[in-house]
Amino acid sequence: MTKKITTIILTLIILPSMFSCKKFLDIDPLYTQDAENFFETPNDYQRALTGAYDLLQSSFMTVWIGEIASDNSIAGGESVNDTEGLHEIEAMSHDAVNNELRSIFRWNYAGITRANYLLENKNKIDFEGKGKIIAEATFLRAYYYFELVKYFGDVPLVIDKRLGADEVTKVDRTPRSEVFAQIEQDLSFAASVLDWNDPTKGRITKGACLSLLGKAYLYQDKFDQAASTFDVVINQNRYALIGDYSDLFKVNNEGHSEAVFDVQYSGAEGGGYGCLICLEGNAAPGFQGIRQYNGPVYGDGNSYNLPTQDLHDAFDATDIRRDATVLDIDAFISKQPNSSEITYAIGGGGHTGYYNNKYIKRQGEIGLPDNDLTSPVNYLVIRYADVLLMAAEAHNRATSPDDLKAQGYLNQVRLRVGMPPINASGNALTEAIWTERRLELSGEGHRFFDLVRTAKAADEINGFITGKHELFPIPQVEIDLAGGDWSQNNNY
Amino acid sequence: MLNRSLNFIIAICLSLVSLGQTGAVSGVVSDSLGQKIMGAAIVVKGTNSGSITDENGQYRIINVDLTNATLVASYSGYKTKEIKVKGRKNVNIMLSDASLGLGQVMVVGYGTATKKEFTGASANVIGEDLQKLNIPRIDQALQGQVSGVNINTNSGSPGGSSSIRIRGLSTFGDNDPLILVDGVVYDSEGLNALNPNDIESVNVLKDATAGIYGVRAANGVILIETKKGRRNVKPKIELSAYTGVQQATKKLNLLNAREYAVLKNEMFANGNNSLPFSNTNLGEGTDWQDAVFQDAQVQNYNVTVTGGTEKTTYSIGGSYFSQDGIVGLDKSNFTRFNGRVNLNTEMSDRLRLSSVLLYTNEERQALPENGIGSVLYNTINAFPTDPIRGATGQFTYLEEVSDIINPIAQMQNTYNTSWVDKLVGKEEIAFDITDNLTFTNRFNYNYAAVDNKVFSPLVWYGPGKAQNTAINADLDPTLVEIAPGSTIERGASVYEGRATYSDLNFESFVNHNTKFNDIHTLKTTAGVSIFSRNGKGLGGTAYNIPNNSLDYADISANLAPGGFLNNTNSFQFQERLVSAFVRTQYKYGTKYNGSLIIRRDGSSKFGPNNRFGIFPTVSGSWLLSEEDFYNIDRIKFFKLRLSYGVSGNDQIANFAYRGLLNGEGVYVFDDIITIGAAIGRAANPDLKWETTRQFNIGADLKILHTFDLTLNYFIKNTKDLLFQPDVSGVLGTAGAGSYPPIINAGDVSNKGLEIELGYTMKQGKKFNLSTNINATFINNEVVKIPTGIDFLPGAAFGVGGNIATRFERGFPIGYFIGYETDGIFQTQEEIDNSPVTQEGAVPGDLRFVDQDGDGKINFNDDSDKTMIGTPIPKVTLGYNINISYEGFDLSGNFFAALGQDIVRNYERQQPFANQLNYNIDRWTGENTTNVNPRLTTDLNRNTIFSDYFVEDGSFLRLKNLQLGYTFNPKLTQPAKINSARIYIAANNLLTLTRYRGYDPDIGSAGGPLASGIDYGFYPQARTLMVGISLKF
Repeated sequence: MTKKITTIILTLIILPSMFSCKKFLDIDPLYTQDAENFFETPNDYQRALTGAYDLLQSSFMTVWIGEIASDNSIAGGESVNDTEGLHEIEAMSHDAVNNELRSIFRWNYAGITRANYLLENKNKIDFEGKGKIIAEATFLRAYYYFELVKYFGDVPLVIDKRLGADEVTKVDRTPRSEVFAQIEQDLSFAASVLDWNDPTKGRITKGACLSLLGKAYLYQDKFDQAASTFDVVINQNRYALIGDYSDLFKVNNEGHSEAVFDVQYSGAEGGGYGCLICLEGNAAPGFQGIRQYNGPVYGDGNSYNLPTQDLHDAFDATDIRRDATVLDIDAFISKQPNSSEITYAIGGGGHTGYYNNKYIKRQGEIGLPDNDLTSPVNYLVIRYADVLLMAAEAHNRATSPDDLKAQGYLNQVRLRVGMPPINASGNALTEAIWTERRLELSGEGHRFFDLVRTAKAADEINGFITGKHELFPIPQVEIDLAGGDWSQNNNY
Repeated sequence: MLNRSLNFIIAICLSLVSLGQTGAVSGVVSDSLGQKIMGAAIVVKGTNSGSITDENGQYRIINVDLTNATLVASYSGYKTKEIKVKGRKNVNIMLSDASLGLGQVMVVGYGTATKKEFTGASANVIGEDLQKLNIPRIDQALQGQVSGVNINTNSGSPGGSSSIRIRGLSTFGDNDPLILVDGVVYDSEGLNALNPNDIESVNVLKDATAGIYGVRAANGVILIETKKGRRNVKPKIELSAYTGVQQATKKLNLLNAREYAVLKNEMFANGNNSLPFSNTNLGEGTDWQDAVFQDAQVQNYNVTVTGGTEKTTYSIGGSYFSQDGIVGLDKSNFTRFNGRVNLNTEMSDRLRLSSVLLYTNEERQALPENGIGSVLYNTINAFPTDPIRGATGQFTYLEEVSDIINPIAQMQNTYNTSWVDKLVGKEEIAFDITDNLTFTNRFNYNYAAVDNKVFSPLVWYGPGKAQNTAINADLDPTLVEIAPGSTIERGASVYEGRATYSDLNFESFVNHNTKFNDIHTLKTTAGVSIFSRNGKGLGGTAYNIPNNSLDYADISANLAPGGFLNNTNSFQFQERLVSAFVRTQYKYGTKYNGSLIIRRDGSSKFGPNNRFGIFPTVSGSWLLSEEDFYNIDRIKFFKLRLSYGVSGNDQIANFAYRGLLNGEGVYVFDDIITIGAAIGRAANPDLKWETTRQFNIGADLKILHTFDLTLNYFIKNTKDLLFQPDVSGVLGTAGAGSYPPIINAGDVSNKGLEIELGYTMKQGKKFNLSTNINATFINNEVVKIPTGIDFLPGAAFGVGGNIATRFERGFPIGYFIGYETDGIFQTQEEIDNSPVTQEGAVPGDLRFVDQDGDGKINFNDDSDKTMIGTPIPKVTLGYNINISYEGFDLSGNFFAALGQDIVRNYERQQPFANQLNYNIDRWTGENTTNVNPRLTTDLNRNTIFSDYFVEDGSFLRLKNLQLGYTFNPKLTQPAKINSARIYIAANNLLTLTRYRGYDPDIGSAGGPLASGIDYGFYPQARTLMVGISLKF
């Protein structure tokens, strides 16, 4: 009897000790897909990639800030308190408390995190076509980081993992050069995998990778690498300038030969002002539309991001790009039949008489569910004219400049809009290319970053302080939430 | 051979010579209060044979000369007693005097301790004291019984729940203590399922010594033991029954029809609107409260059989309880059947089996309560000028306020029934490896099946009412378009749901007792526990129930065309906990006790980086009164206690550490909106329990043999509260549909003092008196919240109104924030000359206080809001008294909570809603009143959340008063009745309070941040009862 009991007791003691606590506790939620039990099928990868693409749709904010911070436009809107952060940026009075800058910071990191989530799990299963998915995700991460570096300089570099809540206090801002190194590496990798052609409209192609890579070189003044990278894109002869400049931003022409990298939008889903990041439509046209407009061609909007007289006057009167870029509202109305019946309102946030004619709400481009925020117009992040101008600049500023080539690229752009060719060389050519960039690309969110990159900002922007405004301040709340140890950008 | 026979004969002769029989004697040692004493020494006088009583106070000595032997029972602190056996096999011994009650055995988790030795702060209630209160719910019965345990009623409806808070609120999450019944985890919400009559004792571990339960101990631990039998006792049968009638304790002072008409006319006139009543002479009108509140019955029957043979003890109980509600009668009925078997048997000399089985079957009908849209909310706001039924007999519509419906119609059309079947129990085998070493294995289980059926008939409460399910008074159903041009009817519907929950728990532990060098006593407990909980639920709603009738209210009867409209839902979860624990109690001599507890818990609820936690506790006590130098004659017993330890609160959502894929990852490819995947709430692999560190210093004193005094001072700091605050953008949670992770941040501190003073008169022949009072003072403060957020918003005031409560640093949890008032503006001059600009103020409006001193009342931000109340009482008091004289007994039980506030939130701030009659004293002109503002339909700010809506919630309540008579046993014994007692009793007979609402004893059904908000609370009833109890 005692023996038997001893055996029982021994069994009872030994049994639990054989049992693994860790395994017992490591249970998955039932019948629920969550972050830890994902990436089981190719479709899981595809879905996660779509999630990473989603944040591209935040582009409207860059269109605003890239223009409003420059000499191209003012903030506008209903009042000076309407999106106050943009008004501060317009006045160069912005500081570390700015909702719009915070959005830029958070949205791009959201995109990075979604890309990293996929890349963290890239080795979970193998299947045909995985390489392409990985490459697209890698490109997206590089693009989001490029945006962050443009705005903030040094930013924490997180690669192939998600951070835990505690870990974030242990990361510091990574030097801009290291972030750029990662961007270059990611884009080179993506370019090596992806094709020039993708049957699906909206997917990243090799051309997008190389163009963004060239742009990244240009932003670091690595002109030789930039020149050779752009040349690859140009020599491919895949892209061409379209005939009519004013057709570039119309929904019917989307996917034209000039589109290298564009953000896709749809007019099929409504949305609300409460969550602009949730929209599937492009918010910029609605916001930039004519305030309380009642008339033909255009729809009514919120009078954001209004072009300045200075921009209007920068164009040669014969340059068709002027009216395609800047809508002179009164002139437009006066030309319409029954012009006296056309009305619009002046917003309390400022009025210049001009509207952004590239991204503006047009009748016929209005999303069905609600016509405020569901514009289907894609945003052209990089178009071929930009590639040509960047290539021209790179060749002109390379260690052994090739001004002839630069002139060739520049004049392609001018020729399309009927402007006479330019024969200048050296610094004069550099200036001519920069001027051309403004004329060609205004209203598309590049101007401020071009001015900073070319050290022209202090000359052109009222209130711009050299040594300070080249970068935007890191949002103070982000510094605090990261533990308060990050340094702020100079002079903020 | 011869030799052997001779021996045999001599033996027989010797036994004959002694003229006695030899045999085993056993029994129970208890103190004069009937508490069993563990560790008492029983020795047969003049021999070496004897025994020590076990945790049930039992002893057993074999080979005793039953005829002549004298037993000597002794226990430190008690008078040694000698008893002649006189041939009995069962000798129960009562020890008295010295330090009364100190040998009382308490369960302390995986073992027991005597009150004398215990090093922690605990509170003990014996089952009889709870049963005597005739309160159907253990939690309510515990209110006021012990210090440090604050119990509030979440609802007075039959089957409602309470909030139990041990030593204050330590989180805005789950504050419920861990409750174990015979060592088996019992959910706190399910305390309703327990029959008070089955309970032998309740022990509340308040301080860090609860740490033997580690990660589940931070909110305190309540250990409930059910009744057990005793050895060698013939079956004892107890029958008891009571029945009673319940009444509403209070009606609100609402306006009658005439007052209502006059005031509404004035209100509309002040707003320059036409007068709604051309004739105000409308008399009393309808008293909706009279129509809603009804006298309701309560009844309870119990049977208990206890007893034991030499090797087996048993206790079996059964009961039936049924209670109608004072609102809705059988529409808010609660019925409960309980069955219990508690069996202990010695399988061999060293092997013992304990088996406990508790079965409960409940049925409950529930009405909408404690919120906007509840029956009482509608009752309070219904117009006295409208009859209950119109001329044609249909219920009136109360049309003028869209969200107030006829409460009588509402009750009649509510069909909400739930059923619970619950099985809780354990099988435990204890093996005495040696006399000092016991090895226990037990399997605990807790299974509950909860069914719910809600029938929603087609109802028309009047035009525009949100609760309508029909489209008109003819009860035509809504038509639903299921495809363009194709519609179907949506008729009456029924929801049926079933959820099952099961806990399985295996525990294995050893208890070792040893004494060496005569002075060191060491008691050690060490073991492991493996716990798993599973839950599953399935529910469905079906439409178009035939005939709009409850008779067909089953999913199977639905006539929804093609099954359209019908829908189902389900859930499932699992959680697991693995633990190891060690407790060592060391005693040096009789004076010094020390205890060390270490528990390690691993839980599936926590992130992989923090899956395991270690929870240590140290405690000690010093029996000052046993020191040689001790010479305070009047204080017979003096013990000092100290404890400090760390424990956890694991009551967080399952898998909260994991990132869920419910974010919005949508992009456009080929011009088609394409759904992808994105993380919703971000993962936090560091997520862990909330940690509580508690320090306690206490003293137990016995003064003059008759007074017991217990004092405790504690500091309880809880950190790592769970938040979901804004996080760094780098974590990537700013995408569409994504949210920050749940993180550990935020600290709360509770400091408090507890005093318990008891008086027990020396046992007299005719007259006996015992009484005790307890008091708890608690100071609650939020010490830290995550950086980047200012406060956590809580409950709202009014309909869609301002946030009235907050969790904010430097304030108590859930304190009330709003505007402070300073009387009424009497004249325009006063407004004009006021140093503070109050936008929109006219004479008769509340004057608000400018908190930030900027010369202006800011209504757009929080700068002029301030703390205007707290739902947490400054002090709670309990007082119990028991008197007996000859056959009569009288007992009373009082509870008081002082210093807390209640928000009067049951007034619908709409022109036609009825009002309390304090509005008769409204402002009507200069110097008419400085308290109540003018009445007007004009836009005004008198209804924003201010201290005008905050009332003192202090109250004193006579919870139970009882007068009983026990017949002289000589009279009843011929009928084989050993004891017969009859009594009359009353619950909630008297409540003293200045609070205007129904019941100031308001819990927090909506969580800690919704405490003290009164939406027309379902009040506790006053119950008048008669009862009888018989023992055979």
